[in-house]
Order: sequence, then structure tokens, then C-alpha cells
Amino acid sequence: MRETRLKILQYITGIGLFFLVGTHLIVSLLSSGEPTSWESVSGRAASAGWLALFIFLLIFGLYHGIHGLRTIIMELSIPKLPAKVLDWTLLVIGLAIFGYAVYIPINAFL
Amino acid sequence: MQELTFKVQRYLPGKDKKAYIQQFTVPLRQGMTVLDGLIYIKENVDNTLSFRSSCRMGICGSCGMFINNFPMLACHTPVEELGTDRIEVRSLPNFPVIRDLVADLDLLFEKHKSIKPYIISPDTEEAEEPTAEFLQSGEELEGYVQFAYCVKCGLCMAACPTVATDALFPGPQSLGQAYRYCTDRRDAGVEERFHQADSRHGVWLCHLAGACSEACPKGVDPALAIQLLKRAMVFDSLRLKKKKKPASIAQPLAESKPKIDVPEFTVKQP
Amino acid sequence: MKTKAAGSENRHLPNRLGIKSWVWGGNYTLERYLYTLHRVTGLGLLLYITLHLAMNGFRLGGVESWIDIMEILGMSGFKVGEYLVAAAFIIHALNGGRLILQHLGYTLGKPKPPVYPYVDSLRRRRPIVWAMLALIVALAVYVLIVFVT
Repeated sequence: MRETRLKILQYITGIGLFFLVGTHLIVSLLSSGEPTSWESVSGRAASAGWLALFIFLLIFGLYHGIHGLRTIIMELSIPKLPAKVLDWTLLVIGLAIFGYAVYIPINAFL
Repeated sequence: MQELTFKVQRYLPGKDKKAYIQQFTVPLRQGMTVLDGLIYIKENVDNTLSFRSSCRMGICGSCGMFINNFPMLACHTPVEELGTDRIEVRSLPNFPVIRDLVADLDLLFEKHKSIKPYIISPDTEEAEEPTAEFLQSGEELEGYVQFAYCVKCGLCMAACPTVATDALFPGPQSLGQAYRYCTDRRDAGVEERFHQADSRHGVWLCHLAGACSEACPKGVDPALAIQLLKRAMVFDSLRLKKKKKPASIAQPLAESKPKIDVPEFTVKQP
Repeated sequence: MKTKAAGSENRHLPNRLGIKSWVWGGNYTLERYLYTLHRVTGLGLLLYITLHLAMNGFRLGGVESWIDIMEILGMSGFKVGEYLVAAAFIIHALNGGRLILQHLGYTLGKPKPPVYPYVDSLRRRRPIVWAMLALIVALAVYVLIVFVT
């Protein structure tokens, strides 16, 4: 039941994103000063709680978005072998984006 | 006499490279259906017009067509209900065109067959040599009888946006029928059908656009069946599913005397 | 599911509606077009996440590079884009919640023998969709007021 499990994860990440994006916006907007100023951004990146929220948001967002994209592409009658190639390609792209996105706050501020 | 304009799709294999629209004028009669209009054209204007029909009463599912941009049974569609005197009739989308309005429904039947649309009995001996009928409650029957009304007309497949692009997607008709058999207590093919529906091009490519149920001329509601199939698969995957008890076999009826005496035959037996 | 690919489509005139049916497939009603909206907003949000992460990369260039990009993003065109992202999130989140419930068979009711005139489960529960749409409009207007003020 591989596809069913992947879909269950799609639902879980969807529900999770609803709360995580809300928290992300509230935390960003309620932080002291201009939320996009260098001081605010670097201050948030140095906080372990914010970093944890960011990483969860990233995992949930990337899984939900990339699985959704895979579903749309799969609907173009993709046969078995190209479908496997697509799965691996999207996985590699997802991991690359995740690595890059985590590297930014760590490298820039820590 | 009021007249209707029929814009009908024409395609002759071997001659035409693509389908085109031909216009006909048809006199309006009271209670006339779109199929009546097509029959009028065939009998009085152009006898080369090809379309498929049989029962003329919405039972056989032969005359599925794309009428004013909606899949419908031509025999089941009174022209007055369309609310216009311009009627465009095309072949069912998502099925190849054999000629004019005749769609090739092979795809539908192939996909229908692939889900094993029959009771897979847990007791092969009993299935081969039945000794009695299986027992079933009214409630159990209500769980699937709606989906058993499918006439295989293909309208749901013509309406489905996933079938429109994915040749490998089983489509609402066969997925709906997969649920119909999975929920039947006489059937033991649940695991097999779940495994089939779990593929990359399986049940999860249904996004509940609901067009299949909207188009169904028999009230079968394939969208509901597919969502119930998804629920059953999710519960099964999370091991939350209650095990389906197999249907029991009816006990032989006990010998009984009629409550009132049956009168003797008044006509002498030869 | 193992089904034959379109073999007969090689013998006869192919007639699949194709990708254009994701936008318009016929005279269907509400849910068929919510499907399109869900798809469009989802792809839009995925594009936004990618751009948002790429924009975050300017932090690596130090404070000057960050201030430069923030000045560009402060322009009114980007503000409109930000509002569209917020609206897309509201639509995708609320419609997604409805889809999760209905994909699992909830809020659709039980199967029942069809009696003419047939009304399918989605149309029987149409008020749920109207309520969801009303909530989407209310939230989108609220966010617009917040953006403008």
C-alpha cells in the first residue's frame, strides 16, 4: 500500500502546514521591529525554537508541494520506468532544496 | 412549425483526417429527445449518419454522447430540457471515435474487467457446487446496491478530468465497481483489488472533481464509491480496518405445513 | 492498477480532452472548478516557496545584499504578489481541508438506492461547499484590509 501511505503523509503534511504557516506568519509579524530587517531575520535564525519551526515547515512544505507536483505530472500517462525516474528526480530535487534552505540560516548567522 | 438546429460531429475513417461539425434542421415534436432528432436526420436527411442506440429508455447505456458540452444519454435527454434550439452533439470525449458519434468503448470494458467485477468466493468448492444461497441483510445490500446500477455507458469516464490525460488511470467506472465488490460480504477479493488500486495511476489520482457523479444517468454516484474505497484503503493501511465477516450460507428450510389448506386442483390433471 | 494503455486510440481517431480539460471540460458545476482552483493555487504556492527560499539566499551575501533585495521586494508590484499568495493559501488550505474529509468519505453521507431524480452525494452536501467559499471570501477580504492598512 505504498501510494496510500504516501497519500496519508500528504494529508498529514497538509494539516501540519495549516498550523505551521500560521505560526510562521505570526512569529515573523509579531517579532519586535520590522520583521524583514537584518536584525530581526538574524535574531530569529539564532533562536533554536525558530530554527526547529523553520525545519518542520520546510519538510512539510517540500513534501506536500513535491508530492502534489508528482501527482499532477503522473496524470500525463507516465509509464512505469519514466515514473520511477520521476520519483527519484523529485526526491533528489527535494533533498537539494532542503539542504540549501537549511544551509542559509546556519551559514549566514551562526 | 418550430425547428431545431442540430450541429452534429461527423468523421469518416479513411476519408477524414479529423472530425468536423455538420448542421441539420430538425422539426420539433412534443416530447422529442436528442436521440429522436438524430433518428429523424438518419431517416429523412442523411442516412450515412452513424450513432449507437438500442433500448431508447435509458437502460442499455448505448447512446452516450456529448450534448451541448455535457455527457448525456441521447435517449434520456428531452430537447426541451436543454433550453435552446441549437443542439451540438459530439462523440463522448476521452474515447476514440470509430465513426461520427460512435465512440470506441473498449477502454471502458478493459478497465472494468481489470478490477475483476465479480464475486471472488472465499470457498471455491461452494462457488463451484453451490449448496445454498448466501445470507445478506438489507443493510449490507444498501451498502453497495447503488453502485450495482451501473450500465457501463461511459459518461463518467467522459466527464473525468484525470481520464482526460491519463490513459493508465482506471477511471471512475471501474474504481466505483471495485468498491462495490470490496464491500460485498460474499466477496474475498478485497486485498487483490486494494493492491491494484494502490498503483501510481490508481485511486489516488481521483481528486474529487465530482463530474463523474454529476454525469451519471443512473444515480450510481461513482465519486462516493471512490471516496469510500479510499477510506477503506487508508484504514487498511493504518491497520484500523474491521475484518469483514464472510457471508454465511443459508440453512435448508425446515419442513413445514401450510397455515391454510391448499384447495385441490379443480382442473383434472391429464 | 494494471490496465491496457490506449491501444484502440491507435486504431481510431483519438479524442482525449487532454490538459485543457484541467481548466475547462464541459458544463459541470462547482466542485469540478474547485478542482481547477485547487490545482492552480497549489502550483502557485509551490512556485512561491521556491522563490521565497531563493530570496532567502541573499542572506549569504551579507547585510548590504539583504537590504538591496528587501528594497526591491518592497515595491508595490511585489505587494500585490504577496496578497495573491496569501489568498492562494487561504483557498488551498480551506478547500484542502474539505478534500481531506471528503476523500476519506466523511461529510458525504451513506450510499442509498438511487431514486429519480438522482442527486449525488456531493450535491446533497453542497451547503458545506458554500460555507467554505463564504469563509474563503471573508478571510480574503480581511487579509486585503490588513494589507491595505
